[in-house]
Amino acid sequence: MSSEQQPHVPGSSLASAPPSKEEPNAAAPVRRDRRASDRTLPASLLTPPVPPPPPHLDDYRSIVGQSQIDTLRFLARELKGKAIKMVNSTAVGGGVAEMLNRMVPLLSEMEVPTHWDVITGGNDFFEVTKAFHNALHGSAYELTRSAEDIFLMYNEQNRHRMRFEEEMVVIHDPQPLPLIRSRQDARGHWVWRCHIDLSNPDARVWAFLKPFIEQYDAAIFSAQSFARQLAAPQYLFYPCIDPLSEKNKELSEEQIQKVCEEFGIDRSRPIVTQVSRFDRLKDPVGVVHAYKLARKYVDCQLVLAGGGATDDPEGAAVLQDVKEAAGDDPDIIILNLPPWCAFEINALQRASTVIVQKSLKEGFGLTVTEALWKGKPTIASAVGGIPNQIIHNLTGVLVHSVEGCAFQIRYLLTHPELARTIGINGREQAKENFLITANVKRWLLLFRILDQAKARRRTA
Amino acid sequence: MSASPKPPPRNPNKPFYFNTSEHLLRIGRQKACTLDELVRGVETCPDDAIFQHTFRTLQEHHFIKQGFSNDFASWTLSALNEPMLAEQLASVDVREFTAIEGLRRRMVEMIGDFLHGNPKSASRSGSEPFYFSASELVVLPTNFSAGTLRGFLDGINQVSVHSIHHHFIEARLRLRRMSNDFSTWLEEEAGLKEVGEAIERIDIYTNTLEGVRLQIARIISEAIN
Repeated sequence: MSSEQQPHVPGSSLASAPPSKEEPNAAAPVRRDRRASDRTLPASLLTPPVPPPPPHLDDYRSIVGQSQIDTLRFLARELKGKAIKMVNSTAVGGGVAEMLNRMVPLLSEMEVPTHWDVITGGNDFFEVTKAFHNALHGSAYELTRSAEDIFLMYNEQNRHRMRFEEEMVVIHDPQPLPLIRSRQDARGHWVWRCHIDLSNPDARVWAFLKPFIEQYDAAIFSAQSFARQLAAPQYLFYPCIDPLSEKNKELSEEQIQKVCEEFGIDRSRPIVTQVSRFDRLKDPVGVVHAYKLARKYVDCQLVLAGGGATDDPEGAAVLQDVKEAAGDDPDIIILNLPPWCAFEINALQRASTVIVQKSLKEGFGLTVTEALWKGKPTIASAVGGIPNQIIHNLTGVLVHSVEGCAFQIRYLLTHPELARTIGINGREQAKENFLITANVKRWLLLFRILDQAKARRRTA
Repeated sequence: MSASPKPPPRNPNKPFYFNTSEHLLRIGRQKACTLDELVRGVETCPDDAIFQHTFRTLQEHHFIKQGFSNDFASWTLSALNEPMLAEQLASVDVREFTAIEGLRRRMVEMIGDFLHGNPKSASRSGSEPFYFSASELVVLPTNFSAGTLRGFLDGINQVSVHSIHHHFIEARLRLRRMSNDFSTWLEEEAGLKEVGEAIERIDIYTNTLEGVRLQIARIISEAIN
């Protein structure tokens, strides 16, 4: 393949020529004579930016409205001074840590003091917990006595190191589950927040963990289909995004344009985008095939933006497959970005005409929520938690195949009014259910509901 | 003979306190994969589950003007592809009921009648299960109360749509009569019976909740100006 025919891949090969200024043409694909050459990422993307300070509650007023901020304050008023402890297994990286980074200051600001503790462990502990994680997702796993011992030993170490004096203790995911052994009396509520899909767990790992889970006062799942039959009440909390984060904050037209220019994306023509790690379960090759089917009828560019191909051999192999599937099409723009490119992802999503998430398996697709929040007509696979995020044909479009995805790309690109309505509804859906303020409200509601239930039990 | 000028509305006797309700979704233990299982679930699930899948889901999707009514209708169409039953279930107006039991009976009758005419549909599995959920409700105050009609209009314009839902739609279950908190207050405290009736007639299924708010505000505005 000649260099001028390669798709654009920063870090390996990215077109450096300016984008063409051709007018969009929905009827016939437009080929541009774009000369590709090796180019590294822009210098500004080579190191992580300094994170901005977390926002205050009032910063969300312009997004959700004064009445919603008032509601949060009224909810918090009855809980004033009562403390929450959040416990998870990592302080940085991953969706849970990202969410806690934003949630903890907001709850504390409302005088519900919220502490965040992270359990520690050796490599052997995290190898076991990673295996448990995969097994709970349904992968085959041979649970051994040694793995059980490692899991319990590190949890005992953490239990002796930590104090649990708060009125509500929230344990995130399976790693710290045995900390429930510190529950000596009925003083605090103990809640297990499960961020993973438990619909099809490995039976032995589930049997090992279930006795711990059964001791909690409540369990929280991200979708009804992820839950199990448990004695304790189970609640639904959708994973949330922060509308003020780098990934989701409003951007100016100039900022969006600048990012597109850096990546050689032509904003005068329709842009179809999938943002995802280069992972087979995200089916980026399927997206390329869907794009190629759609391109027989409509002009558009395909942007595949994600990471995971630099530090993960499997990701590198997937990226290679994507490049091969893309072939010599200069309108397929493949961006292997480092994890700190939230601003660039934001700009790419906002520049898009249609956003796709053609996953083969998915928990709760945060990239789907990001697309909805940006008011983009979104096409996503009806897998995992995604049907909870999208109401078919009202707040987005659900598909089941490459062909279905291709048809919906064609349909939305040629029916801009419908696409616009779906985009508006999708944004409202995200605003109502999937923003961090909605989850702050859920935590406060849960705290009050558990308080009320305990008071009723005492009276009885 | 010319009509006599409309008398100015009287000052309300008692203030109106705007409240709001917030809900947490509790995942239920029942699920349905077929219409047979759905009808059994609707018959036996707790009242707060019927509330969640009808009243509450309408509030969750308040921004959709057309095509969404309740979870039973949605699932019947999207998972079972039974458009006739879906249309029938979607036609059920929650405001025709002052108690959950009546709403539950109507849904059960509709599904039962459909299955009587279409027995083969009873055991056909849907593309995804229907998960019964329930709503745990917390009622909260807001910063708004009104001692005058002008203040009432200001409150209508400024409270959240959740507060509009609480007073305009959920109120029936509290009042146990075919009215809403706004109409009741306008009639009983300000003597504006016709205004209350006009508000009661607003169609919530062809409007977003923002649209409902605008219509309520317009009716009150016309009455006091």
